[in-house]
Amino acid sequence: MGGLASYFIRRFLLVIPTFLGITVIFFFILQIVPGGPLEMEIMKLKAGMASMGGGEAGGGASGSELGRVEIPAEAMEQMKEYYGVDKPIPVRYAIWLWNVLHLNLGVSYVYAEPVWDVIKNRFPVSIYFGLLGLILEYSICVPLGVIKAVHNGSKFDLGSSVLVFIGYSTPGWALGAVLLVLLGGGSFWSVFPLGEFRSENWAQLTLWGKILDQGYHTVLPVIAYMIGGFATLTIIMKNSLIENLGQDYVRTAFAKGLPEKRVIFLHAMRNSLIPISTSIGHVISFFLAGSYLIERTFNINGIGMLGYMSVLHRDYPVTLGFLVIGGLLGLIGNILSDVAYALVDPRIRFK
Amino acid sequence: MSEKVPTSYKSVSLFRKRLRRFKSLKRGYYSFLLIVCAYILSFFCPLLMNYKALVVRYDGKMYFPILKYYPGETFGQQIYGQADYRKLKGQFKTEGKGNWVVMPLYPYGPYESLTDPSREPPNPPSFRHWLGTDDRGRDVFVRLAYGFNISLSFALLVTTVAYSIAITVGSALGYFGGKFDITVQRFIEIWSSIPFLYTIIIISSIIQPNFLWLVSLLCIFGWMGMTYYIRGEFYREKAKDYVHAAIAMGASDRKVVFKHILPNALTPVITFGPFSIVADIGVLVSLDYLGFGLPPPTPSWGELIGEGMSNIFSWWLVLFPFGALFCTLLMVVFIGEAVRQAFDPREFSRLR
Repeated sequence: MGGLASYFIRRFLLVIPTFLGITVIFFFILQIVPGGPLEMEIMKLKAGMASMGGGEAGGGASGSELGRVEIPAEAMEQMKEYYGVDKPIPVRYAIWLWNVLHLNLGVSYVYAEPVWDVIKNRFPVSIYFGLLGLILEYSICVPLGVIKAVHNGSKFDLGSSVLVFIGYSTPGWALGAVLLVLLGGGSFWSVFPLGEFRSENWAQLTLWGKILDQGYHTVLPVIAYMIGGFATLTIIMKNSLIENLGQDYVRTAFAKGLPEKRVIFLHAMRNSLIPISTSIGHVISFFLAGSYLIERTFNINGIGMLGYMSVLHRDYPVTLGFLVIGGLLGLIGNILSDVAYALVDPRIRFK
Repeated sequence: MSEKVPTSYKSVSLFRKRLRRFKSLKRGYYSFLLIVCAYILSFFCPLLMNYKALVVRYDGKMYFPILKYYPGETFGQQIYGQADYRKLKGQFKTEGKGNWVVMPLYPYGPYESLTDPSREPPNPPSFRHWLGTDDRGRDVFVRLAYGFNISLSFALLVTTVAYSIAITVGSALGYFGGKFDITVQRFIEIWSSIPFLYTIIIISSIIQPNFLWLVSLLCIFGWMGMTYYIRGEFYREKAKDYVHAAIAMGASDRKVVFKHILPNALTPVITFGPFSIVADIGVLVSLDYLGFGLPPPTPSWGELIGEGMSNIFSWWLVLFPFGALFCTLLMVVFIGEAVRQAFDPREFSRLR
């Protein structure tokens, strides 16, 4: 086990340069670009001042007016300080990093709240959909893969392969868009609501009404989440079981007269769950990865939507916070995968 | 020259065997033929779908508007700017003076706003516009066809470049091994933990990338996956007798790598290639959908679906692009499945 311990220590040590590398790159990219939050604020201010001055002369502020307006130097300094751009970039990065290490991700420009609070508030919604989709995915794909493997080449196998192919060539969010158009009450059937997490009057509903409402809002996004890993997971399960069924130990088990069910579900199944169990670590990053697409399609105010909107609005503290949390979750997920792999498969020895 | 013949003959033979097996897998093979034909055809889109006429005969002279810009006055039209060839065609017909216009099969262009004064775009499918028009009055069918060419070219280019990087890095790592291998592997590990799509979104929000920019971005952040496979193949092949024999006979590193190992290490490139194309098309469509992909007004499937989501009653803006996306990806997946079966002696399907 000594090798294993040192392996994981090295894994954890690798997290540090990874984390620094990613944040340095993005910090610099986000700081040097034009059109940042300060510039946007200046534009807004200038537009406001220009329209105040020339409001009576007729209609909004034109480009030439914007150029003439000067912002007082004092106000400029204050704004620079507010956005933290009064110091050189490396200093800013050091301050930012120091704050992050003290669990302070800064304050959102858009929401004027601590970034961590903004992100924290969005987590439950994303976890709700992500986890539900994931549980459903596993509880459908694993049995499906097993049946496909046991009855390899049967009609059911070939028929369900169609489903796998469809799953493979359909991005989840695109399927979500199609489902919304078909079932969301646009031009066809009005079965499900047009996205969002809950109805607006959710708070006034009875308990049963709440459950029903939540359920209605859940079906389509969860299908969209599910389709993402559906094909891959089913095929991994199927192939892994087939590979094990061809092994000598299975033949031995059959030869000594064990019933088929016992051989398949006790002997072969256990070993073929190895590749599936290792993907468990990626569950964490699953909540973030690609969720902006589905959350945008269904207009769900989750963490993915937050990350996406923060880029649109140049709300860089949130963007960086999203990256930090997403990056950390991804790294932890990777390590968890390795741990799961090592625990499940005793043959694995890390170098 | 004389020493080159036997080795290349041998590898071609194995490849031929696999090719024959691929051809025997009808679903994949026909998908391959179909998509190649469609792709070649899509390069002729400007000749097949355009608002510019192919040939105009006016007052005894021939004009080729597809190649050259003519203002409306050239043909006696009282309009400003480019001649309106669709109108011209009808006009010449009613006049009956021996003038004629040959229009492309589908006489609408991808960037042309066909605003109908009686109705606000987007307009549903009709006899004139088979798949309707989008929210700027552009023909959806034409945009889908042009978008097919762009999507596939994009994916092919990204896959080629990313795989070239992966092959270069992977073979260097696998062949030289040692400290070099470990160092670069750590770097790759760090590089891989950058959230891929989000990074591209951030960079796109800043520089508004064009086609080549976007290809480079995807390559820069997407070359790592294949590297591991190539590295593994090199490690495996390096331990085999034929490589030892070549080294013992005094072959240079370059010769061993390029002539002996590389041709044997390329199996993952071929078997993963189609799936990489599927992934790249998916990324492009996703980015376009989010509004961080190719700059407008590039014809794009993702952008159309995005428009459809903001006009939920315009079902044709979602269903048709989705259908195009789905059919294309499905065919490439069929190809990938067949290639994998042809290259993998094992009997079962291995999608990933």
